[in-house]
Order: sequence, then structure tokens, then C-alpha cells
Amino acid sequence: MQQYSATRGQILKLLEAEGDTSQESIKRVSEATGVPEADVYGTARFYDLIVRPGPRVCQGLSCLMAGTEELCEELTDAGISFHRVSCLGQCDRAPVALDGQMTLTHCGPKGGISPDSSELAMNLAGAEDLNYPALALARKNGAEWVAEQLESSGLQGRGGAGFPAHFKWNAVRKESGPTKYVICNADEAEPGTFKDRELMSRRPHLVIEGLAIAAFCIDATDIYLYVRGEFPGPGHSLEQAIKEAAQHLGDFNFHMVHGHGAYICGEETALIESIEGKRGMPRLKPPYPTQEGLFGKPTLMNNVETLACLHSVLCRGGDWFAGLGKTEPGTKLYCISGHVQSPGVYELPLGVSLDELVQAAGGYVGNPMAFSPGGASSGFLPISERDRPLDFRGLPEIGSMLGSAGAVVINDTVDMAWAARWQTVFFEDETCGQCAPCRIGVRYVRRALDQFIEDGDSSHLDHLNDVAWEMAEGSICGLGMTAALPARSAMQHFPQGFSRDGEESHDG
Amino acid sequence: MEKSPMTDKFDITLNGIRLQCESGETILDVAKRDGTYIPTLCHDPRLDPAGACRSCLVEIDGQRRLQPACAFKVTPDLNIHSESARVRKHRKILMSLYMADHGAPLETEHNGDQLTRMARDCGPLLALNPVEAPRAARPAEDNPYFTFDPSLCILCARCTRYCDEVEAVNAITLSERGASTTIATAGQRTLMDTSCELCGGCVDTCPTGALMEKKPAKLNQVNPRKVRTTCNYCGVGCQMDLNVVDDKVIKVSSPEPGTTLNDGNLCVKGRFAYDFIHHQDRLTSPMIRGTDGQLHEATWAEAIETAARGLLDVKERHGADSLGFISSSRCTGEENYMMQKLARAAFGTNNCHQCAAT
Amino acid sequence: MLGAGAMTNSIPEIRDAEVLFVIGSNTTEAHPIIAMEMKRAVRNGAQLIVADPRAIWLSDIATIYMQLKPGTDVWLLNALAHVLINEGLTDNDFILNHTENFEAVVEAVRDYTPESAEEVTGVAADLIRKAARLYASRRKAGIYYTLGITEHTHGTDNVYGLANLVLMTGHLGLPSAGLNPLRGQNNVQGANDAGASPLYYPGYQRVEDEGVREKFEEAWGASLSPENGINLNVMMAEMAEGNLKGMYVMGEDIVLSEPNASKIERGLNQCEFLVVQDIFENETLRYADVILPAACFAEKDGVFTNSDRRVQRVRKAVDPPGQARADWEVLGDVARAAGYGMPHYTHPREIYAEMAALSPKFSGISHERIEAEGGLQWPCPDANHPGTQYLHQEGPLIGKAQFQAISYRPSAELPSDDYPLVLSTGRTLYHYNTATQTRCDAGPMAHQPECFVQVHKRDARKRDLRHGDLVVVVSRRGRVECRVHVTDKVRPGCVWMPFHFAESPTNKLTNDAGDSVTGTGEYKVCAVRLEKTDRTEETRSV
Repeated sequence: MQQYSATRGQILKLLEAEGDTSQESIKRVSEATGVPEADVYGTARFYDLIVRPGPRVCQGLSCLMAGTEELCEELTDAGISFHRVSCLGQCDRAPVALDGQMTLTHCGPKGGISPDSSELAMNLAGAEDLNYPALALARKNGAEWVAEQLESSGLQGRGGAGFPAHFKWNAVRKESGPTKYVICNADEAEPGTFKDRELMSRRPHLVIEGLAIAAFCIDATDIYLYVRGEFPGPGHSLEQAIKEAAQHLGDFNFHMVHGHGAYICGEETALIESIEGKRGMPRLKPPYPTQEGLFGKPTLMNNVETLACLHSVLCRGGDWFAGLGKTEPGTKLYCISGHVQSPGVYELPLGVSLDELVQAAGGYVGNPMAFSPGGASSGFLPISERDRPLDFRGLPEIGSMLGSAGAVVINDTVDMAWAARWQTVFFEDETCGQCAPCRIGVRYVRRALDQFIEDGDSSHLDHLNDVAWEMAEGSICGLGMTAALPARSAMQHFPQGFSRDGEESHDG
Repeated sequence: MEKSPMTDKFDITLNGIRLQCESGETILDVAKRDGTYIPTLCHDPRLDPAGACRSCLVEIDGQRRLQPACAFKVTPDLNIHSESARVRKHRKILMSLYMADHGAPLETEHNGDQLTRMARDCGPLLALNPVEAPRAARPAEDNPYFTFDPSLCILCARCTRYCDEVEAVNAITLSERGASTTIATAGQRTLMDTSCELCGGCVDTCPTGALMEKKPAKLNQVNPRKVRTTCNYCGVGCQMDLNVVDDKVIKVSSPEPGTTLNDGNLCVKGRFAYDFIHHQDRLTSPMIRGTDGQLHEATWAEAIETAARGLLDVKERHGADSLGFISSSRCTGEENYMMQKLARAAFGTNNCHQCAAT
Repeated sequence: MLGAGAMTNSIPEIRDAEVLFVIGSNTTEAHPIIAMEMKRAVRNGAQLIVADPRAIWLSDIATIYMQLKPGTDVWLLNALAHVLINEGLTDNDFILNHTENFEAVVEAVRDYTPESAEEVTGVAADLIRKAARLYASRRKAGIYYTLGITEHTHGTDNVYGLANLVLMTGHLGLPSAGLNPLRGQNNVQGANDAGASPLYYPGYQRVEDEGVREKFEEAWGASLSPENGINLNVMMAEMAEGNLKGMYVMGEDIVLSEPNASKIERGLNQCEFLVVQDIFENETLRYADVILPAACFAEKDGVFTNSDRRVQRVRKAVDPPGQARADWEVLGDVARAAGYGMPHYTHPREIYAEMAALSPKFSGISHERIEAEGGLQWPCPDANHPGTQYLHQEGPLIGKAQFQAISYRPSAELPSDDYPLVLSTGRTLYHYNTATQTRCDAGPMAHQPECFVQVHKRDARKRDLRHGDLVVVVSRRGRVECRVHVTDKVRPGCVWMPFHFAESPTNKLTNDAGDSVTGTGEYKVCAVRLEKTDRTEETRSV
């Protein structure tokens, strides 16, 4: 009944150490934390890494197109047991399998990145600066100056929504009260997306410096990093960076929190619930986390990439950063996978087209037919949109979004109903189940697609648009609002694939 | 005297009508006071708003998204629409989805099933195929009072929130996620093997009939006569309704939250321990001990006469203060008055007390 | 006097409290619905102080939990007063304007330092200090107690000790504050209100007051005894002595529920004439000369008065079984048969009207008003009065409240070499009193099918007892067999038993030494030992 139990946040860590959700484990964790057994159990059973630990094979779209089924056969033949799971964030190395320690055991070659350049805001191939000059500038010039630079940079939140970052910062700054928190959202799990993974691995100091600047600016001392559970390596890089830069970080407490296998925890309020040791179910908004966030206190949460931009925004000026962009401010980490030559993370001016992005990745494979510009949530677009700027404001005009900028290219060997089906399976696996439009709706959509694929009778899809409308209108959070988009956009842009009577093939 | 907290009063507009309200109130609070119906499923005034069932979503000018009336706090000059075309379309498809997830066809209405009634109010629904959610029941549930049918559950979480926020025993929880989400105990043990105190508040608050009492189900009766009375166990004085069919109490239900001092709550004794009323061991006939030393059935007239005579005899032999009259806190106020009046006025002694002077 | 029975405040106010001091009340089990209000208060940020020899459910969510030794309440309460006085935490304006005799308490508690209290009560001195400071730190600070306070030979002193704390902090005449005894039974309050008392006529009017007596003599048309009667505890003793020769027992199983059951059975064997009026067969019935079958609460009309002085309706829902009749009808018949001209009431509302007319405290209450308005809280002096949510709100008190200096006396029976353990008894959630009603029901029986004794794990280990073993609990008065529950909820050296089970009649063990003022038996402290038994489950008769 206590809303904020100090020890409650420990239960997930303890459960992971127990390794299962047996009665004995639940009882021990309950006794150690004072959290009732039922609450421990209910929380544990929400998280895939606790419910189903062990080796896993990715069934994200990029992996499926690259041969998940063959990989599964191979593993089965080798006598290895595994779980088929949601996207593992390794689309550039598809198809992949992880062992129980989340180490890659089966994968393709390492993905590409942009070459070293001083004209990139983050510059994945660049060298780290352990002097934290941007933090020093912030301390020297004050919080107000930081906020001004942030505003003039035009930096938009890189987590997906693309709202100007200074809105959130200013909202938290003006909240009174002695306790505020900063959270780094490193729970990257959108299918097709793996940029934060690279950023944390290659430039962890950019992230830590950004967090310190944020905490300084809003007057917070406690900083939480919520890192996806399937990313132990990047999490370790961050921990190392915190140690290495200790002399700059004396006035901050860093708290590392590892995710436990739930995509929804990338949603900011679900992430907060998860840090508090609860089921990762999004909260109602309002109130927003900037008002009542972690432990009920004003909280500034930013994506890894947003935070990593702060170094150059302060060191080289907001105007410099703003000038990097093509249609919107700054450079952007674009992920690209699927049917392209060199999948990877490429830092390009914000607003490049698909063709420009694919050019950085060595060109298309086969005859491109469709693409997702920003992860599963952005749905599908026809290749005829290949020249459109990939930016935050333009893509919503055609019913899509830039989101996490995890672009996936699909060529004409792929059946769109099949592709839509697998994207929908992802959302069905990952919906928290809290609100009916999402919980029931996404299952309805997936089953309707299955029934259509099974017998080719398009009447199974009759109510799909209505259900999709309700999911967008009625769901609590963004997951439900977009979960029907893959199916709806595929039907909209590729009607021929959904009106058959079963004569065409649906191979992958 | 205590200072009353500062309250702002202002107007909002609901469906074109100006209504006065106070800061801190939700849209649902204001609508209820005005008598405007907004459907709810996961709402219970005793619980923090969850906003999870989505049935109370309304349209608010200036808000991009529909907002839950149960949780959205009013601010001055809000313009709210609870019956717009958008809200109605939302409600209709939402109810269609619920019915695709819910095991009961519309024709059969379960005991206390708000959902089916609400779905009926939405007019013709979309004919969606059942989604066959894999919600699990507890495998070996053996508690004596209620059943849980996961196929009728809509996961409004009123039961789990009641168990946490009101009863605070945390016996049940939401478990699993997505379509598999269900109401569980720790390790799916039977309720008897948990911290559950069998208060039945979860059953009482369930809006769909997923949680049902076993006892009345046996009798399979509809529309019992309800008699409001005061619980006969402890000294809290909970108000409750005896549900009567054919001169038998078949169930005890609690009054609406907010209407009596127990706020819709009852404990295990108040809600379930009523079988004694019609128990076979009740005394049904006056008895008199005969000269053989055994008790024999008697008429009321004989028993009353024997009782009065016996007590008068003792008084005559040993004086009024050789008599003792033990009244009962189990009986009514009027009966206690009668007992002390009997002792004092009819037998002339103040030796009258009751079992618990404390 | 403050603390004479009723709650000063109301149950619905509990959720708004800032501090709750719960002492001698296992609220979650004995008053579950009040406990829900307390839980709600804690959820809303209230601080909870719990004092109880057993680690009860509420102690888990308490800010401060004091696990005192049974029977040392007076010392603890005096030490709390000591801290309040020494640290200047008293409300001196309130003391000056509304109380008398404060100096006597200052004098009386001088030597009750927290350190001395630690020795006697086992509660750490610093914890006592913290509790006192917390209690004094908020205005909306209420004290809640029940039989853990009153069922002692020094029960009245315990209540005085609590009243002293309330008065010296001025936590009176405010919402969510005051001194609040939680009544154990549905209508204890109503029975007292109605004059089922050797000292009071209805409405707390003294038997010894001549004016009052004359009023009742005139109203009832009978001459009434000017002498105080004797209380229940004394009645039981007089019966055992052979001085009480005839009894009329309504709605109670005195053999099972009164302390020292063996002595009561002895007394009943000597009793010349016994009338028992009840709804079920019970142990006392075996001694009856006349048995009168009664209607239960669902079969009759009337009122119950709850803990917060609220008079509420009981309504007839079904007919009584067989020839059973409502108690009020039977009592009227017996009175008339004994030659007294009891009026022929046709409905309890007429009886209530007669009582209200004679009792200024409830003059404004009637069945008709309750029908129209819901429950009414006394005092309610006239038909336009809305009832009283909390007492003493108008210039806190009528006249001045008396502080009562008290000093510690050990319980009547202390542990010895032969009886080394302290037994306390009480009620559980699943059963009610002698369980004649709850044992009809599957839930209570599935959860708690039989009697048990809670034994601290250290004491269990010492005696080689395991959870579930059968054991015989022995006191100077009797022996009772039951099952061992090993726990760390009780203090070492203490054991605890419920009193609900006829086949394990706990009250064969308890001490009938009564409180000097109320006569209430000392159910909470007696000395016992545990004896192992060779009998196994199979051979045990139930």
C-alpha cells in the first residue's frame, strides 16, 4: 500500500538474480524488500527476461527477412533451446541469436557507421573528450545560458516525438521543490533501431556529459540511466565512463538500472514505473513527468541521442548545431537495415531522403518496394516516397513519422501482409495489457491478418480500419496509438496485397 | 477550528451547459453532480483513478486526445463534450472490442454485469470475431465464497486495486502482460493460501461478473428483495443489505460507496457469515425443565408463566437482590431497555448488566 | 468523564487523521472496517503509532511500534506523559481553561522516566520519547483502543492514563482527534445507552440520583430500588458463593465467554432458577430451567448504537424460525406475567420513544427520524438537533475535565516457576465471540477450524514444540488442549489464544479478577504453562 517504498525499486534486480519466478524466489524477494508477495509476483511476470530467461532468437522484421527461420532450424538441429522474441536491436547484423548472458552467438558482420568528421554533432567514429568541456562551460555560464543555447540549437527530442528539447527542460526548471530527477532513456527497443546502442558503446562520455549538464541545468543531483536489459555491453560502457570521469561528476549520484525485457518501458512513464519496481504500465498524462515523475517528483527524461548532442551544442554553439540540418536542425543518427548493402548507423543532416540514406549504406539490395522510415511504429511507406525528407515534421503529413529513425527497406520479394503481420506480432507481444483498445485491438488485428493470410478472404479485414481508429483514439499511450499502423498503412499503400482470393504467394 | 483548505470555484461547460465546480474535482465528479451520465467500468470512488477501461473518455476543446473523465481534473473554462460523434464512435468500437474479448454473449447478463448493460446502451456493435485471449485462471482455487472466471474479466483492475488501496492485504495482482494479462495470486496459489482475508470487496467491486459469489449462484435467483440493516458483529455499525428470496437471506451486499459510514466496505463476517440465520441448530421452541430433570418442549404461555413464577419465587425466598439479569450487547437498544425495565420495575433490583461493559 | 465508553470522534473522520495512536486494539481483526479507514489515513500520509504486546498487522505499517510487556500499559502511558511534560509539549492554554488537577499528574509521573519504563515495559526509552513527540506534533491526533486496554485489573487506570494524554495535549474537540474506544460488539454502546447497567438508568442517569429515580418511578409506575446493583463479574462471584439464586440470561453464553469458566459452572449448579433466552444452543443452556427461543437480528426491528454513538436501524428481513420470537416481545410478556403492568408495545419504535422521552441525551432521536435521515449520533437533545459528530466541540468541555493521577500496579496474576508464561486472549478476524454464528460458515472454518496458541519460537524451541503440535495450556484454574502456532509475533515469555472455540474453552484458563471500577475480567493477563501431550491428531475428539 505504500506508494513509494524505498526498497521496491530493488525487486526486479533481486528477481533477476533469483533467475525464476518460483514461489521460493518470490517469497525471498518479498521478505528482503517488504513488498507483498503478490506484488512481487505480478511485477516479475511482466518482464520477459525474468519470465523467460535464456537464449533467444530475434523475430524482428529485419531478422526475419535475413533468415530467422533458417537460424532457428540451425539452433534446433544443434540441440540448443531458445525463445523466439521481439526485436533484439541488432538489425544491422541480422539474423541474430543471443545466449542467456545476452551475448551475440549468431549474427552477421558488424554494421557500418559514418566516417570520422568534425562536422558531425555526435561523430560515432570520433575520439572521446574526457575533459568534459561542455559541462565546464555550463558551470561557468550558468543554467540560463545552457537553456538559451539549447533553444537556439533547435534540438528536437531524439526519442521519437521530436518536440523541441528546451520545452521539457524549461518545464522542469520552473518546477519548485528541492528534489528533481534526470533520467536517461536508454531502453532502445523499437524494431529497426540500434543507434543508441552504438552511441553508448562508442561515445559513452557524450551521454554522461549530457546527463551532467542536464542535472546541473535543472538543479538535480540524482541521475538514473535505464538501459535496455539486452544491452549489457553498452551499459558497461556507460558505467566505465562514469568511473573515468569521476572528477567531473562529484556533485551527482548516478544510478544504473537495467531493463528486464519490456519494450513498453521505453515509454517514459512506464520506464518510471519500472525504476520504481512496478509493472511497466504507462501512467495517464497529465500529470506529465516534468510535473510528477519519478517518485512523484519533477523529472527530466531524455533519449540517449538527445543528451549526446549537448556536448557540441554547448561547445560549438546552438547556432552551429542548428545549421547542420537540412530541413530541421542538427545531424541525426539514422539506422538502416533490411534490403540494403551496408546496414548500420549513419549520422546525416536531419531531413535527408531515403535515397540519400541508402546511398550512405552502399545502395539497395534488389528492387525496393516499401520502407519503414522510423521503426515498426511508423508503419510502411511505398518506395515512391524515396525522395521525401526524413524529418519530424514532414512525415506525419503522409501518416507516418520519423520516430526513432530506424529505417527498414523492403524489396519486392516480400509479401506486405506477411510483413504487416510480423510487425503486429511485435506489438501484440509488447503491449502492456492495461487498456482495452490496445490489448484487445492489437490481438484482433493480428488475428485478422492471420485469418486473411490463411484463406485469402479479405472480409476478415472489414473492421480493421475501425479497430485501428479506436486504437489510435482510445489507447493510453503511443504504443496502442501506433500498433495498428503497420497493418493499416500496408493496406492503404499496397491494396493489391490485401484484396486477393489466395492466388498469390506469401513467402518472405 | 481547522482551517478549511483553499478551494477555487469556477465554471466549466459540459455539453453546452455551464456548470460550477471546484479545483481538485474530476470531470466525472462534476458530471455526476449534474446528473450527466458518463459510462465507467474501472472507476470506483474509493480507488485512485486508473483511467484504464477507457469507457469514460470525453472530448475536451484544446486537447488533441480524448481524455478520461474519471482522472482529468477540471480547470476554468474547460469545454467538454461527452456525447460528440467522436466520443460515440469511440464508445461503440470500444464496446465492440470488449465484447470480442468477453466470454458472455450480450443476451446473458451476469450478476452485477455493468459491462453487458453498457454495451447494450451503445446500440448495434461491430461484429468482431472473438480474440480468444489466453487469460489464465488459478488452477486449484478452493476458497468457499467466490469464483473467478477469466473469460469474463476485462482487466479493469478494480479488484486488485481494492485489495491494495482499501483492504491493503495485497493478495491479488495483475500478472503477465498483453493479452495474457490476468488476475493472479503470488505463484497462482489458491486464495486460502495467501494474505487474502476473504472480505469480498473484490467481488463487490467487479463490474463484469468475472468474480462471483458462490452462495447465491447456488440459488440462482434474480431480483431479491433488499432490506437495509446494521451488521450484527462488531461495533463499527456497518450498513448492509440483506438480499431476501422466499423468506431466506441468500446474500449480503454492501450499500453504494459514499452513502454510509462503511463506504461500501464489509469484512468477511459481515459479507459472508450469515448462514447462521437459517441454520438447523437454531432454537425454535420454548423448553421447560421437567421434574425428570430433562428439558421438554412447551407452549409460549407455559414457558412465560414458568419463567416469571420461578424468578418471583427466588425473589420471595431470598429478596430481589438475589436475582441477576444479564442483558446483551447482541440485542437491540429497545430490548436492552426492556431487560433493565424488567429487572428494575418488575423485579425491583438494579442487578442488571450486560456481557461487555467495555 | 472522558473515556466513559463512547468514541469522542467519528469513524469517517479517521481517514483525515494526521496521527493515529492505536493501543491494545488489533484493529484489522477485531474492527476490519475501521482498520480500512486507518489504512486509508496512512496511505494519505498519516503517521501511525502502535502499542501492543503482539506484532499485529498494523505494526507493519506503523511509524512507531512499541511491543510492551502485557499488563505494563500504565507505566508506558505515564512515561509518555512524563516526556510530554518534561519536553514542554503540553497545551498549557487548554490545560488552564478546560481541566483541573493537572499538578497531581505532573507529580505522579515524575518518576516514570523513559529509562525506567524501558525496564518495566521492554520498550526502548528513545522509542517512547519519539512516540510522545509524534503524538504531540499534530492536532488531528486520535487515540484508538479496545479490550487490550480495558480487560485488565487496572483497566480503568489504563483509560485514565490515555485520557491524561489527550487532555494535556488538548487533542479534544477537534475532528480526527480525541479518545476513541472501539466497541467490540454490535450494540455494546446501545446496551449501555439503554441502561443495561447496575449503576445507570437509560441515558447514563445515575441509579443513586434521587431525582432521576423519582422520574423513572413516575414514568414506569413502580417503586424502584435506590441501591446500585452489582456488575456481571460480581454477579458471577456471588453466584459461585451461593448468594445469587436466580438469573435471567439473554443472548450470552456466560460459560464460554466469562473468565474462569469452571467457577461459573460451579455457580450455575447452585443457582436455583435460570432462564436462558437465545438463538442457539450453547453451554449455559445445559443449566437452564426455562429456554426461550429468540429471533436474530435479521428477524426483528430495532436499533443498534455503534462505537461512534450512531443510532442505526435494524430491520426485519425474514421471519424467525419455528416459534422463536423477538426478545422485546418475550421480555414484555415475562414482565406482565410477573405482575408488572408493562405496556403492550406493537413496535420497537414505541419502546424507543419511551426511552428517548426519559433520556435527555437521545431525546431528539426517533425511528421516524432515522428512517428519514439515516443514523443519528448522540448527544441529540431535540428533534431539530442534527446529532453530534464529535464531542466537546463547543468550548471543549462542559465544566472542567479532571486529570486522574495513576500509578502502576502489576497484573493480578504474574508468571511463576510453575506457570512461567503470560497468556493473553482475544478475537480473530474469522470468528466472532463464542463463534456460534461464524462456525456455521465455511470461510471461517476453512481458515481457522480449531483453537490454537501462539508461542514465540524461542519458547517453542525451549519446550521442543513444533508448529502444529497438540499441547495442553494449564493455568491455576483449568486446562485446555489446542494446537501450537510457532511465531515471532508474540513476545518471548508470552502466549496468545483466541476464545472462540467451545471444545477448547480458553476462559477456563483466564482470571476472573475484575477491574475495581467496571468489574471487567482480566482476560489479557494470566499465568500459564504448556504441557506436551502424547495424543495425536487421529485420536483427538472434536
